[in-house]
This record gives sequence, structure tokens and C-alpha cells, in this order.
Amino acid sequence: MTKTTPLSRLLLPLLAISLLAGCQKEKEPAAELAVAPPAYQGTVVAVGDSLTAGYGVPEGDAYPARLEAKLNQAGYRWRVVNAGISGETSSGALSRIDWILRLKPDIVILETGANDGLRGVDPQLTRQNIDRMAAELQAKDVLVVLAGMQMMRNLGSDYVERFAAIYPAVAEKRHLILIPFFLANVAGDAALNQADGIHPLAQGYRIVVETVYPYLIQAIKRKTAGKQGR
Amino acid sequence: MLNLRFIGRQITGAKRQCVVFVLCVALSMVTLVSLGSFSRSVQSSLLRDARALHAADLIVHAHAPLPAPLQGRIASLAGQGELLSARYWDFYSVVQKATGEGTLLCDLKVVEPGYPFYGQLLLASGRPFSQVLTPGSLVVEQALLDRLRLRVGDALRVGNATLTIKDVLLQEPDRPVNFFALGPRVFIPASDLTSLGLLGRGSRADYVTLIKVAHPDRLQALLSALRGAAGDSRVRIESYRSADSRVKRFFDNLLFFLNLSGIFTLLLAGFGIQSTLFALLKEQERTIAVMKALGARSRFIIGHFLAVTLVLGLLGTLAGLSASLALQGLLPWLFRGLIPARVTLGVSGWAVAEAALIGLLVVLLFTALPLYRLKEVKPRAIFGKEESGGFWSRSTWVIAGTGALFFLAMVLVRIKDLKTGSYFVLALALLILVAYLLAVGVLRFLKGRQPKNLPLRQALKGLFRPANASRSIVVTLSAALAVIFAITLVERNLDASFIESFPPGAPNVFFIDIQPAQKAAFAASLAVKADYYPIVRGTVSAVNGQPVDAEKERESRGDNLAREFNLTYRHDLLADERIVSGKTLFRRDWPQEQVSVLDTVVKMHKMQVGDFISFRVQGVPIRARIASVRTRTSSGLAPYFYFVFPDSVLADAPQTLFCAARIDKRQIGAVQNRIVAGFPNVSVIDLTQTMTLFGQIMERLSTIVRFFTSFSIAAGVLIVVSSVFATRYARLQEAVYFTILGARRRFVLAVFAAENLVLGAVSGVIALVISQIGSLVICRQGLDMSYRAYPGQSLLLVLATTLLVVCVGMAASFSILRQKPVTFLREQADE
Amino acid sequence: MTILETLGITKSYLIGNRRIKVLDAVSLAVAKGEFLVVKGESGSGKSTLLAILSGLDRPDQGRVLIENQDVTDLDEDALAPLRNATFGFVFQSFHLIPSLSALENVMFPAELKGDPDARGKALTLLDRVGLGERAASFPHQLSGGEKQRCAICRALINEPRIIFADEPTGNLDSVNGAAVLELLLELQRERETTLLMVTHSPEIALRADRVVTLKDGRMVADGGHA
Repeated sequence: MTKTTPLSRLLLPLLAISLLAGCQKEKEPAAELAVAPPAYQGTVVAVGDSLTAGYGVPEGDAYPARLEAKLNQAGYRWRVVNAGISGETSSGALSRIDWILRLKPDIVILETGANDGLRGVDPQLTRQNIDRMAAELQAKDVLVVLAGMQMMRNLGSDYVERFAAIYPAVAEKRHLILIPFFLANVAGDAALNQADGIHPLAQGYRIVVETVYPYLIQAIKRKTAGKQGR
Repeated sequence: MLNLRFIGRQITGAKRQCVVFVLCVALSMVTLVSLGSFSRSVQSSLLRDARALHAADLIVHAHAPLPAPLQGRIASLAGQGELLSARYWDFYSVVQKATGEGTLLCDLKVVEPGYPFYGQLLLASGRPFSQVLTPGSLVVEQALLDRLRLRVGDALRVGNATLTIKDVLLQEPDRPVNFFALGPRVFIPASDLTSLGLLGRGSRADYVTLIKVAHPDRLQALLSALRGAAGDSRVRIESYRSADSRVKRFFDNLLFFLNLSGIFTLLLAGFGIQSTLFALLKEQERTIAVMKALGARSRFIIGHFLAVTLVLGLLGTLAGLSASLALQGLLPWLFRGLIPARVTLGVSGWAVAEAALIGLLVVLLFTALPLYRLKEVKPRAIFGKEESGGFWSRSTWVIAGTGALFFLAMVLVRIKDLKTGSYFVLALALLILVAYLLAVGVLRFLKGRQPKNLPLRQALKGLFRPANASRSIVVTLSAALAVIFAITLVERNLDASFIESFPPGAPNVFFIDIQPAQKAAFAASLAVKADYYPIVRGTVSAVNGQPVDAEKERESRGDNLAREFNLTYRHDLLADERIVSGKTLFRRDWPQEQVSVLDTVVKMHKMQVGDFISFRVQGVPIRARIASVRTRTSSGLAPYFYFVFPDSVLADAPQTLFCAARIDKRQIGAVQNRIVAGFPNVSVIDLTQTMTLFGQIMERLSTIVRFFTSFSIAAGVLIVVSSVFATRYARLQEAVYFTILGARRRFVLAVFAAENLVLGAVSGVIALVISQIGSLVICRQGLDMSYRAYPGQSLLLVLATTLLVVCVGMAASFSILRQKPVTFLREQADE
Repeated sequence: MTILETLGITKSYLIGNRRIKVLDAVSLAVAKGEFLVVKGESGSGKSTLLAILSGLDRPDQGRVLIENQDVTDLDEDALAPLRNATFGFVFQSFHLIPSLSALENVMFPAELKGDPDARGKALTLLDRVGLGERAASFPHQLSGGEKQRCAICRALINEPRIIFADEPTGNLDSVNGAAVLELLLELQRERETTLLMVTHSPEIALRADRVVTLKDGRMVADGGHA
């Protein structure tokens, strides 16, 4: 398990730039409030709760950081911003969409709703929130990748089913890229999760990154194609 | 060969000194026995409570069914009759009304018969839990009935099963007071577990096996056996003893403090014993000199006086034990509310034995020096030719040093913590040193004074008569009083701070995660005036450009910078805040973005006004300059914020609202339901229980502290009495001279009173100075709270001390005054 | 004129459970300015007689008159002014106040009286007896002779009319003793003070105006030099 220090994070893009010298990739304007931004091709903002923030593991082991490393290694000079807030519900995520838009994201990976489920919130409310978030992001030309979530069985089959149905429904309605289950192959495996059984360990997040990656590449390709098409 | 008659006569001949000696020993006994008994009672009651708190002797806890080896071990041990086991499963689920619409998240507990092994579940009907929870039944909390609008007897759909509500739960023994659940409790019998269909792969539940051991002394052995069978799995096995309950820690702290005060009382009593014995032996000096002149060896004489000491010690021990037994009736009243009523506070045999042993040690320790000094009495003392030889010879140092070491060892044994014990002893040594220096200074100042008032002038001269003990009296009194004053001052400040923290109108309910858009509707629904604080989650990424090293930060024991913080923005200070660095909260003349930090942050990482902190607010970096450092002046449950920004910086940031409201206790349930129903994303924290309990505890605490402190005061009084007795002869002599020279009784009384007044006032003032400084340090540095000097109370303390010394001194001197001068002269002439 | 008179003084003490008669019907009259010696063996009751004459003790029977005033039944507070201004005491064991210097010891009776010139008078007296240099010394720093001389000054400072001296030379060597005696007599003659002295020394008795002898509590001789 390696930890990316700020220094190495700076080196990798520089390395990537020198490798890709000669390729014609447009530079994206830096975020408004960023400090001395290097030249990125694009910005992905990972919006979510503790599963995004990386509760209980160092920030470098949370999935956004790893995802960025993986992208850069593959030659995509994109940055992935960790905008996760532990304990946040879908209502909370909805209320901060404006703040997220300040980062001028090209793509948003939306991973939310788990805390709603843990509190037994009516899945109808969660669905409405996610739907509105997707609408607001799309209106600002942001491409949304929706992370599907599932609730634990003990909450009752009725609830579990209604909850799980949220994500495919919204993804279909808004034409979002859907990750079927964010914690696929991680949830329920004691070796990959912390003692509370909910939050993954670093090795769990490695798998999450592998799960998310292909959908993100899909999104990047769609986005850059869209731009070039203009 | 001991001459018992000799010993007896010695005692009757020096009645006053012996009484003080016996009282000092008795006081030590009472302190030790009371403390010891209290401590033991608390331990046993806590253990008893701990069992109930966990409903079992051993608790096996996992997030999955137990591994086979462990299950097998438990089964075999049960078969051998070593233990009884009962399982339960604890998990959340969304229950549904059987008829009609309505769902609710509930905290389910599916229990096997046998639960709970200790403690009781109280039901509204009053019937026993085991009788009510039959297959197909439910026992639920009132909140569920309120939220779903159901009644006892209605049906409820849980998972795949439909069950009937049979009773309402009032109290659950193994659910701590401050536990915050996301939904009401529902009890289900284990026989219905499979029909629920809620457990299996993909579910998250607590799998708990409770164990009751058949033979208590096998507890540790069984614990080890089960832990061995559990191996490396994530199964956690605890005994009720190892549970780290907050109550246990609280009592540990209380007992620790009481132990310290007990040791201090012992020290004082010890000094009382020592000075009394010195005085007693001094009175006997002529007799001893005669004995030596007649050929008695030092060993013989010391042996006899040692016997006297031991007899007196025994008398004191018996007196102390009787007093302790008498106190026994008082203790339960004193400690009510802190300890469950079913606990009997009594004098424990162990405490008595321990006290007797320690008492003996103290007597031996403090009488060693005076007895040793008997060697120095020379036969020529018969002729009254005393040469005041050096008191501090090498052997005296050795004995005093050994005594001090023994005392230190005793302290450490009681406190069991080397560092704290050493600090305590060092603090005592420092106290005595400072008292000594101050006493020397003040006495030196007084020596040259020539007040116009004749009795006062004579009193001052009397204080400095040859071979006077004024300095040692002042030092001992000042040191003793300084501690007593300090305890009083600190206690007053704690009281005030507590009252401040929980003023009558203080908020008692917190609401978190309110979305900003909900504020208007929420406030309307709440219908009570409340305070709203914006909360913005963020992290600290760097200080002055230096990135925060997350790993290193997490290693620190206290709070650290590597976690997420609740940032906020406001334009003024909270009511219980004040600025310690920087002029105002924010500065108008700075162009950069600013932040105000709490002093606790400065403790985590060195920083000062003018430094820059870099934050990350959900990916957006913000660099702000520290404009001020704040500190909290109260220590209650009021909200506080480490980082405060001006409105401009964070007003648009993603935030939730935190609301603190004061709600009438009877309304809280209804309000809670209303809010959670209307705003399902809002969580409610009810503080009333905590606050009431806390208030009660604080009150009980100060009573208990005062009770044990009064022992120290009693020791202080004994020391005053002892010193007055020690100087009796000299005062008597002077009183006679004054009378012969034509002074009226009034004059003699005035001189005595003035002498005691000066001693009392000087000691009191020195004690006050030391205690004010000491209390300031303790409050500011140790307890991290603001300090108030209480000048009125302080003055009262000094006055009371002076009055006490004068009264005790006068009372002890009355017998002197009644003596006719001629009797004294005649006794003199006899020599 | 008779300055001091006693009539039928009887005094006994309870020692253990035996009653011991120390004085038996002693009557005495002392003239103003007289130097009277009360002589007797140890245990003859002479110190007790002095104590009763000076008001320090009370007789079981009999009366004591000072300047024709019956002082037998006066309480301690009423006796105080007498002790302060009318009497002066000199003791065998000196009995100086240990916490006061020589000067302060001498000043004390005058201060009690409220005399504003106590200090001046004291210094004069001390100079007179040769202790001027030692005025600031404390009793434990003075020799026996010096202490007694200091005590004499103290006894004289309020110009008492009667001085009671109980074996004043008892604790002094012969040289000092003689010096002290001379001093006392000199001062007594100067001021015409009545001097009542208890002693068992025949030499001192020879110097007295009158000698009274006590034996076993009874006066067996009075007048002349016995």
C-alpha cells in the first residue's frame, strides 16, 4: 500500500507531460480558487460521503486519489478532486452542488445515498435528491457518472429493493453512466472492510478503483469527444 | 523489662499532650478507614453495576456468526456446567405497519431466553420480561407506538414476519444512558429469527453471545480459554471487568483525588504527632536527665517512651475505629445518588486492617525523630544548664531522610502511579519550601516592629522569645491552610464554571444536519427560539505552507489536525468565548481571507496571529490568515468551533445547520417526533438526561470533597492546639511575670490574644497567597478553565483562620490564667 | 508611720492528703523607710510570709494592711495597681521576661502605668547600676549579677514605696552578691523606700534595721539583730 505524497503527485503529471509532448491535448482552464494550477486536461470531482472521503484510511488511499494516479499513469492528465463528506446524506450533497460547480468539473462521480439508507430515509426522497443533482449538473454541461448503492439485507427486503431501484431509475431517466454497484466485490468481505463492516480498507478501495475506472474512461471519452465535436 | 506504672504515670502526667497525640492518631485512622471503605464500596458496587450494564459476565461480540472452534468451545464448557450462554442479535431494520401505510427504522434486538443474566428489563405492565416475550410477540419502546400510531396488541411487520406488540419497554439494563439510537428499540424472541429472514450474507448485525460463569473465580480462566478459541478472528471477548465505562473512569479520578487529600491529612496528623511528642518529651527533660544521672541507658529510656507512644497509638486507633463506625451511618446519606441505593456502604474489614497497618507506620515514622533525640538529653540538664546544641546533626538528617523516603513509598503505594506520586511529593516539598521562605520573610519584618499598642508590642516580643517555635508553627499552619484554601478555591471555581456551563436557560437539545434551505420550515416547526450555527466540513492541509503530516498527526494522543473539522462563520464571539491573542475577532485592515482559531488548535500545532493556514473545503482550497486566537471560558455542553471564518469566506460553501435549543423537558418527545417526521435528514441529540445527571453528580461531588477535606481541617486544628500547648510553659511564665509587675488580667489576655492573632493572621495571609497562586495554576493549566479569585471568600478564610487560632489559643490558655502567680513561683523555687 | 501591717497570719497547705501549717498567727508591723529582714531556716515559712505580705498569696486567717488599707480580700485586678506602682519585687531567680531586652524589662512596669518617659527613666537606672552598655542585651545573654541588677532597676522604676526581695543574693557568687546588696541598700536609702528582705544569711541580717526570725511558721524573735 503506497501513499502518494504531495511531491510525487506533482512529479507524475510533469512526467506525463514530457511523455506526451507533441500530442495535441487542449489545456483546461484552472479552477477559479486553485493555487498556481498546473496544466490539466480536465477535472473530475468525486462527490460523495465517507466512502468517497475515505473514512478511516489515509487520504492517499481513498478512491479519488488512487483513481487520479491510475488515470495519470494511463496518460490522462486529469485531476480527481476528493469532495466527499463523511456522514453526508443525499440532501446534503444536493445543497452543495453550487460549491462543487465552482471547481468547474468536467465530470462528476456521484456516490451518495448510503447514509439515507442507514437512517431509514424514504427511498423516494433519496431518488428525488439524486435526480435533481443530476439535472443541475447536466444543465452546467457536467457529465455525471452515478455510483449505484445497495443497502444491507437486515433492513428488510421491501426497503432494500426500493433503495436499490433508485440508481438504475435515475440513470435511465437522465442518461447517466451507471456503475451498477460501487462496492462490488468489496461489500460483505470481512478482509476488505474495517471492523464496522461498512467502510472499506485500503485494499478494499483498490478494488473500488478498478470497478470505477472503466466507467470513468467511458465518461472521459464521451466528454472529450463532445468537446472536439464542437 | 518495662515498667508499666512508669508508662501509665507518664501518660497521666502529660494529659494534654497525650490527648492531642491520641486525637491525631484517631484522625489518621478515621481518614484511612473512611477512604478505604468508600473506595471498596465503590469498587464492589461498580462491579455489580458493570455486570448489569453488560447483562453478563463475559460478552462475545462479532459482526458475523461465531467461528466453529469458538462455538464448539462454548458448547462444551456449557455441557460441563461451567457456564450458561444466551445469544442475541442487534441490527437495524425498517418495520412496517401490518395494516395501512407507515414504516419506521428500528433497532431490533432478537434475544434468546436467559437474556439478561444480570440487570432487569422493566416493562410498562410490570410483568417479567421472560413471561411476556413469547414466540410471535414484540416488546417495543413507546416512541415506536407514537411514531406509527399503534397500540399494544396491534400487529407489526418485521422482515418477512408479522408479530404482535405485547408490551412497552421502559428500561433496558445493558443500554448506556448516553446511547443515541437512530430508531426505537424492538425486542423479538429468538425463536422468530429465521422467520424474519433478515440475517444472512449482505446484512450487518451485531452477533453477541452472553455468558454467565458458574463459579466467579473461574472468570479469568474461561476468558482466556474463549479468547484462545477465537484465535485471530474479529471476535471480541470482554469481561464485565475490563469494560472501560465512563462511570468507572470518573470514580477512578474521584478516588484518586480523595486519596491525595487523605495522604495530606495523614501528613498533617503525622506532624501533629511529631510536634506533640517533642513537646511532651521536652517537658519530661528533667525527669529523663535524672534517670540518666541514675544510670539508665538511652536504650532503656527510649524503649519506655516508645512503649508510651505505642500505647497512645493504640488508644488513638481504637478511638478512630469507633469514630469510623459512628460515621458509617452518615456515609450512605452522603453518597446517595452517586451509588445505587442497593449498595451498602460499610466499614470493610480489609479497610480496617489496612488502616491499622498504615496508622502504625505513620506513628512510627513521625515519632522516630523525637524518640531518637532522647539520646541527646544530658544529665546536666538537671541543673537547668541547657546548651542549645545543634538540632540537625548527621544522625538527625539520616533519620529524617529515611522517614521522608518511607513516606514517599507509602504515597506511591496508595497512588500506584510513579509519575503522579512523585509530582505530588514534589509539590508538597515545594509548598513547604515556599511557606518556609515566606514565613521567614514575614517574621523578620515583624521582628523589628514597635507598635504603639503595649499588649501588641509585648505579643510581638513574645513571638521571638528565646527558643521560640514561632517559625515552625507559622510554616506548618501556612502549609496546611494553603492546601485547604486551595481546595476551597478550586472547588468554588469548578462550581461557578459548572453553573455557568449549565445556566438555567442553556440549550438542552441539539439538532444536526439541518439543510440551509430547510431553516425557515424547521424554525417554524420547532416553534421555540433557538440558535443556529452553520457547519462547513473541511480539512487542514498546511500551516504556513508546511503540509500537515497526517500519519504523524494521528499518532498524537490528543486531538490532531489530520481529521475533518466543523468550520463555521460568524461575525462575533460566542457568549462563552474571549480573545486571548489579536485585538479583534477579524481585522479590517487585512486584505487576505482571515480565520480565528481556538486555543486548543494552537496546542495541536504551533501557530500564532499572522500565520497562514491552508484549508480544503470539499476540494476547494482556501488560504486564510490567523486574525485572532480565542479561548472558551466555560466547560459545559455548549457548542464551540475550532475555526471561525468571516461571513464572506464561507457563506456560499456547502453547509448544514446546527441548532441548539432549550425545550421544556415534557415537550422534548413530541418535538423530537415532529422534527424527525418532517425533516428526516435531521438528527436529534437530547442532552437533558446528561445534564441532570451531571448536575447531580457535581453536587454530590462537592459534598464528598468537603467531607473528606474537613478531615484536613481537623488535622489543622490539632496542629494549632498542639503548638499552643507546646508554648504553654513560656506563656505561663510570662503571664505570671506580667501579673507580678502589676498587669491586670485584661492586659494578660490581650497579650495572649494578640500573639495568637498575629500567628493566625500571618499564617492565614501566607496560606492565602500560596493558595491563590496554586489555584490559579491548577485552574488555568490543569483544568483549562477561567479563574476567579473570590476576594470576599478569601478574606473570610483568613478571618476564620485567625479567629480559629485565637479561640483555640485562648481556650488552651485559660487554665494558665486561673493559676495564681504564687503557685508558679513556688514551683520554680522547688527546683 | 506603719506602712505595712499584718495581724494573725495563718497559712497551711494541702500536700498529698496532709495539711501542713506553714505560718501560724504571725503578726508584724513595718515602718516606712525601714529595712526589715525576715530570717529563718529552710522551710520556716519566710518566703510564704513574703508572698502574703506582698499580696501574691492569700492567708487562711488574718489580715494584711498596706498604708492602712486592708488588702487581704482584694481580687487580682484590684491588686494590680498596687503591684505596679506601690510594690517592687526582686527574686532569687531574677524572673526577667526572656523575650525582652534589659532595657525593655526595666521599662515594662512604667509602660504598664502609661508613663511617657519610661525609656528615659529606665536608661538612667541602668546607667546607675552600670548596665548602660548592656541595655540591649537579653536576659540569657547576661550574667547572674547583671540579671539581678537589671531586676532591681525594674523593681525601682515606678518608685515603689515598698520593695519585696526574696533571697536576692541566693543565686549569686559572693562578689556579685555583695555588690547587689550594696546597690539595694544604697537605692533604698536614697529614696527612703521600705525594704522587706527574706534571707537566711546572718551577714545580711546584720545590716538590717530590724530582724524578724521565723521558726516552724512562728515568729520567735522580732527586733534588733538576732
